[in-house]
Amino acid sequence: MKKRQDRVDEMSQSTVQQKISGTPIGERRWHMNKNRREAFWGYVFVSPWIIGLALLTGGPLIASFILSLTDFNLVNPEAVRFVGIDNYVNLASDPLVRQGLLVTFKFAIIAIPVTMGASLGVALLVNSQRLFGRNIFRTLFYMPIQIPLVASTLVWIGFLNTKTGWLNAIIGMFGLQGPDWINSEAWIYPALTLIGLWGIGNFMLISLAGLQAVPTNLYEAARIDGAGAWVMFRRITIPLMSPILLYNLVICLITTFQYFTVAYVLTNGRGDPNNATLFINLDLFHEAFRDNRMGYAAAIGWLLFVIVLILTVALLGFARKRVYYAGGES
Amino acid sequence: MYKQLSRPSKIMGLLGATVLVVTACASSVTPSPTSPAPSTAPTAAPSTAPSTAPTVAPSIVNITPAPIPAGPGPNGGTVVRWFIGLGAGTQPAQIAPEQAFAAAYNASQKNVYLSLEIVDNTQAANILKTEVASGTAPDIIGPVGVEGLNIFRDQLMDLAPTISKDNYTFNGVDQSLVDFFKLGNNGATVGVPFAVYPSFIYYNKALFKEAGLPDLPTKVGEMYQGKPWDLDALQQVAMKLTVDKNGNDATSPKFDPANIVQWGFDSQYEDNSARAEDAWFGAGSFLAADGKTAQIPDYVVQGEKWFNDGVWKYHFIPTQAQIASALLGAGGEFGSGNLAINESHTWFTCCVAPPKPAKQFNFGFAVNPLVNGKITSPLHADTFSILKTTKVPDAAWTALKAMVGSADLLTTYGAMPADKTKQDAWFKSIDKGFPGITLDWSVPQAMLAYADVPNHQSWMPNYAKAKAALQAFQNKYRTTSGLDMDAEFATLKTTLQGIFDEPQAP
Repeated sequence: MKKRQDRVDEMSQSTVQQKISGTPIGERRWHMNKNRREAFWGYVFVSPWIIGLALLTGGPLIASFILSLTDFNLVNPEAVRFVGIDNYVNLASDPLVRQGLLVTFKFAIIAIPVTMGASLGVALLVNSQRLFGRNIFRTLFYMPIQIPLVASTLVWIGFLNTKTGWLNAIIGMFGLQGPDWINSEAWIYPALTLIGLWGIGNFMLISLAGLQAVPTNLYEAARIDGAGAWVMFRRITIPLMSPILLYNLVICLITTFQYFTVAYVLTNGRGDPNNATLFINLDLFHEAFRDNRMGYAAAIGWLLFVIVLILTVALLGFARKRVYYAGGES
Repeated sequence: MYKQLSRPSKIMGLLGATVLVVTACASSVTPSPTSPAPSTAPTAAPSTAPSTAPTVAPSIVNITPAPIPAGPGPNGGTVVRWFIGLGAGTQPAQIAPEQAFAAAYNASQKNVYLSLEIVDNTQAANILKTEVASGTAPDIIGPVGVEGLNIFRDQLMDLAPTISKDNYTFNGVDQSLVDFFKLGNNGATVGVPFAVYPSFIYYNKALFKEAGLPDLPTKVGEMYQGKPWDLDALQQVAMKLTVDKNGNDATSPKFDPANIVQWGFDSQYEDNSARAEDAWFGAGSFLAADGKTAQIPDYVVQGEKWFNDGVWKYHFIPTQAQIASALLGAGGEFGSGNLAINESHTWFTCCVAPPKPAKQFNFGFAVNPLVNGKITSPLHADTFSILKTTKVPDAAWTALKAMVGSADLLTTYGAMPADKTKQDAWFKSIDKGFPGITLDWSVPQAMLAYADVPNHQSWMPNYAKAKAALQAFQNKYRTTSGLDMDAEFATLKTTLQGIFDEPQAP
């Protein structure tokens, strides 16, 4: 009802404006009101992105779905056959796909909370009025993200080396023997998480922006009411940051399910040790470019897409009741 | 406070989430899987060099030739596309000579126009696969080793009819090498001999001198310290050359295996797989004669047990973590100066020492030791091949002959010529890179007579996946002590059988 009333009001307003301008209504039927005009120009300005998405992402999406229904082989393309849903059926019984998903979920359970916590923690640190040289620290924490992932991973390989790596040397100073970070099935996930922490600069920056958008008068009021730092953090900072945290969480989830480069470089692309780093994307890559089974790889891609979509929708659904939007729910 | 969403709102919400996932996946903050890391192979090595340890920064080369309009090339000849990148040929220093070769060839005649396509070695196989899949495959590929030929086996043209029709003669090349390239489906000839890389022993003479050990044998049948030069002799000398931080060697009761600073032996850059590092123990195949059944050859069982004991029991072979450590040059073991003996191929001359070695050292060649009374020298070989999709097979064959016959290209690639009459010139060109060091080239020449047949890189069903399984096996024993090797072999055999049984390319 309200929307209909809005439209009536808008029409009345338009009519009034037209009467004022002296232009007959029938002659200016194409004329847009302000909201529509804004929307129109909005669409015009985002149209390059929409067209790009449709052509450069939508096209390959459709192509990959069609490929997933075939046995398309990269080095024998002329023999392609339509196989229906065979590839999807085979996914269910493929132990490497199961291993890939298991590895990815295991890593997500460890890495996402650590990444989210660390990025928020660092954002709080570099937002603190008490921190000397805040801008320097902000730069330092953001800087690692500028380094190409392959290069930084090669550095980490040296850092984590059991025999001559710095990390185990530091652990050794306390009389302890460091683990074999890269070659142990148990320690590889902490190692990957550690490497991941080096790249939290983006999340930190977004969280920092969110922190700075929290009105200071809320803190002042709370302080007057006797609230301590923890209460203010829990009752003010977190609720007001919740849209930012949700955004970070969704992006973190998606990027975790896209995890590939570090695992590839760290283990020469093999998923060592004992398939402990065979992330689902690495398995997809093996199928597509090592084993040339592009049709099957496309089916894995679609499986991954559906999983990420379900998790994202679930997350957004959960967030409806947990995230505070200052402007009201949109 | 929260009202129930209407159906259109739910649909829009779902659509929004989909777009979010699609766009986030498309422009993720992390690199996408289509941008794999560079292989850490020594890029100066030829096609047959495995992608393992980092010593030299990988070259980032992508030269896309200016598109040639349909029809003849600028010299009026038929355009033949030559794809370089599967092996040697992408080093910056190699590009100019390749371009010079093509320019000189194109200027020398008007029948064929050679058009170069040089792509980064780490991406080459994927790029070529994509070109094949999209119907834009080149005409000639190479230099390429057996590995590359196996990957594109279904796409290679059988050259035998062309060779026969053209009455092509293989000057200075042994017939065994001509037969070596019958690697295609049903024994099709997929290349002509261009370069060969026999394997033998490289050893650090300074470390031998320091330990008071004599130089290793350079002639087949020569004794070492009064005993036959065999596996036991190799192990003994390697243990003598394995030293801890207190200067105790691995034969000493005071030896501290937790603090080794110098190792006796390894097979560096050998594919990281059981298939390659054991190849000097004998010859065989993981595929039984029926072409279907997986098997573990006896020499592999013997070899891997020897390696496993060498790593964990006698400590003269480094673990994976030790190989990756700074002490062993983060993978460049021999070049670090802390590995005494290395079994490798002729192509290893590219990578003996890093540009700025931590320790200057003199090195020498020695023959492979006897194993079970026999010498085996695993052989790598490079060639140029024509893809069966070429629309200009005659022109491609004409160009290929010129490439195979070019002494300039051999020098450019650092490749030991398959043609014996060209070998001396090549030896001299390599010697120039090692002033003050006398290399005994009779060693690789002698080892050619002991090539492994069947070759350790021979084709297997689902080749790349089977190779990965063998690499995983090797990685496991190099990272895990106390393995029951017999149980591991049983598991490997089951794994390989599963891979062999998987559907092949249609």
